[in-house]
Order: sequence, then C-alpha cells, then structure tokens
Amino acid sequence: MSEPFHPLVKRLLDGELSLSELPPELVAQGAEALRLLGAVDRAPVSLPAALEARVMVEVRRRARSRLRRAWRWFVEPLDVEVRLRVRPWAVWGGALAAAAALAFLLARPTASPDGARSVEAAARDSVSVRFVLFAPSAKHVSVAGTFNQWDRDAAPLMRAGASGVWTLTLTLPVGQHQYAFVVDGERWVADPAAPGVDDGFGRQNSVVAVIAQGARTL
Amino acid sequence: MRGAFVAVALLAGVALRLAAQEDVATRLDRRVPPAVVREVEELASSAVARGLPVEPLIQKAIEGGAKGVPAERVIAAVRALAARLEAAAGALRSSGIESPAADVIEGGAYALGAGLSADEVAELARSSHEPHDPGLTLRVAATLAALGVPPKTTLELVRDMIRAGRAPNDILSLPAQVQAGMARGATPAQAAQGLGRAAAHRPPGRPPDRIPPGQAKPKPHKP
Repeated sequence: MSEPFHPLVKRLLDGELSLSELPPELVAQGAEALRLLGAVDRAPVSLPAALEARVMVEVRRRARSRLRRAWRWFVEPLDVEVRLRVRPWAVWGGALAAAAALAFLLARPTASPDGARSVEAAARDSVSVRFVLFAPSAKHVSVAGTFNQWDRDAAPLMRAGASGVWTLTLTLPVGQHQYAFVVDGERWVADPAAPGVDDGFGRQNSVVAVIAQGARTL
Repeated sequence: MRGAFVAVALLAGVALRLAAQEDVATRLDRRVPPAVVREVEELASSAVARGLPVEPLIQKAIEGGAKGVPAERVIAAVRALAARLEAAAGALRSSGIESPAADVIEGGAYALGAGLSADEVAELARSSHEPHDPGLTLRVAATLAALGVPPKTTLELVRDMIRAGRAPNDILSLPAQVQAGMARGATPAQAAQGLGRAAAHRPPGRPPDRIPPGQAKPKPHKP
C-alpha cells in the first residue's frame, strides 16, 4: 500500500497550491503526484450501443415484476416518522383511565358465592345459635335466611325423637339476621318464638339478634 | 386539568356500574326469573350511582326467588326497598352523617319500612354514637316497631337507653324483652314503656341478668 500524500500535496493536486509554494521537503512528493496525475488516460470511453439496450431491458424486466416489488415492500426497512401533539391533561387522563380500568378488573367479584368475610373474621365474630320448631306432622324442616342466602336446602333441622321438636345449631356472625323455617320444602313458617317483621312479600320473617358471647340474644 | 378529572370520574362511574351489573347477574343467576335480574341490575346500577348499597336489593330478590314469589311481586318489593334506601340515605345525610355506611343506610331503610319517620331515623342515627353501631340501633328500632311498639315510643326507648349508657348488647336484646312483656299480657307500648322506666332506674352497663366476664357458658342460645 502506497504512502498517503501530504495534505499540502493534496491541495497541490486540487489546484489550490503551485509546486513552488510547497516546502522544499515536499517538492519531490508533489512532483511525483503531478506525474502520476498526468499519466492518467483521459480519453473518452465509448460504450457499445447494445450494452445500453441490454441494461435497460434488464431494468424494465425487474421493474415489471409485481411479486418482486411486493416482496421488497414487505421486507425492506421503511423510514416512518410519527409526530404526536398531546396536552398534558390528556396524558394524565389516559393514565388514570387505564388505572380505573385496572381497578375495575381487579374489583370484579370472585367465585365466592357470598362475597363474605374471611373465615378467620367469621370465626372470631360468630356465635352458636340454636333454632327450634315444634312441627309434629312435618317430614322435613330447614331454616333459611340472610345468613345462608335463603337457601332452603342449606340448613336442615334434625327431629328430636318422636316429640315433634326439630332443632339445629348454627354458627352465625354477630348482628341481626332475618330467617324463616321451611316445612316439607314448600311451606315458609315464621318462628313463633322470635320477633317477626314484614318480608315485603306479604309474609313474616323472624329476627334473631346475635350478640357477643356472655350476653343475651333474642 | 378539570376536564381530566371529569373524564376520570365518568370512567370510574361507568366501571362501577358495569361491575355492579355483572355482580348482580352473577348472584341472581338461576335464582330468580330473567325479568327480575334485569330489573335488579337497573336498580343496582342506579343505586351505585347514588352511593346506595346494592347488597340489600340482591338479598331481597334472592329471598323472593327462594320463596317462590311471582316475579312482578319480587320486582315491586325490590323497588320499594330501593326507594326506602334512598330515603334513609337522605335522612341520614340530613342528620349530619355525610357519607353513611351501607349497613347504616340499610338499617335506616328497615326502620322506615317498619313505620318510623325520616326524622326519627335521623334522630336515632344522631343518638347512636360509640360504642353503639347506628346500623344495629336502627335495625333494633325497626324490629321494635314491627312488634307493634309505636314509633315515638320506640325512638324514646332506644334513645333513652343509649343516653343512660346502656351497652350495645342491651339495645340488641330489647325486642326479645318487649316480646316477653307481650307474652305476659302487656301491649307492645306498655312493654316498651316498662323497659324504659326500668332502664332509667338501673345503673349503666348492668342489665338484670348480666353474666360476669369469664363465667358465661358457651352453650348455644335459642332465638
């Protein structure tokens, strides 16, 4: 690889300096550079007419191929410039809307049918309550109320011998609950031993007040 | 910036409404006829928008479905309850409770349904301060009124018991004591007035059958 020319010699080749203006130590290099430049063949080159025609045929052939153009459009990188103009409140609004949407998703009800309190909390604030109904001719008795989603099958009472007395002990959370007995699966009966309130459907619900251990209940 | 807050509030409101409707549909599925589900969804959505509790509406619909009540009657009962919840919330706010809790509104609705006026509900809520739970106090008042105790007597009995320093358990046991008095031949008003007189002459926090701490037997009790 030849040694590169000195910058002053390059200026000489560009016509900006003359050979006499070079420093003495660069005169020889400058003269050699001028000799090499003068040795270049500057005669015009003439191409055969057929070459130009062949090139143009090939260019047109490639340009006509739709499949090739589609492929190039698909694979070649594109310069895309996106300019956004937003107001700060819109950015904050969008962020908060996203947060609200996330909160909505997180707040969706779980699979728990009651949506009720945790087992630990329920155990801490619960009291055993005994339900009693005298129904000598009944075949089946259960109790349904606000504490079991009015499910007539959730809490069946047990017959106490042949006396016609049906009993059940349930653990209920502290508070006031409404309930009714279901006799033979279809007859809703208020508890004769408990206060009753209108159920809104023309019947009566019984009321039990469950209070902390060591005190009276209804 | 105000527009952003309005937009966010609207979005949050829509989200809450959608959540309420989805919750209602899930809870009521196969428990009540579709017409009841649609009506309760609408009522629940409206309740959420007005800051009212939804759970009582769902419970009332479930109760009606379980009891085999016709759909139109269930809808009427749920609508009536929704109206009472709104009236109770209004009464509570007028009494100075800016944001009443759901159980307090529900207790107020039951009290209104039992015959107490909005003013009496507001007065009971104002009177029921720590350690008394306004929601439970209102439920007790509702039960007393349902037993036949006149609303004015109910208000005076409960309010005087609280002012006399009675424990929450004493308030909760009032309906049973009134019922016991009725079983002995007293009218509901007489039974309630008798309890009021007795409370006025008893030391605070010492009901007649109070069990000393640590001596209570954990046996079940009967309603």
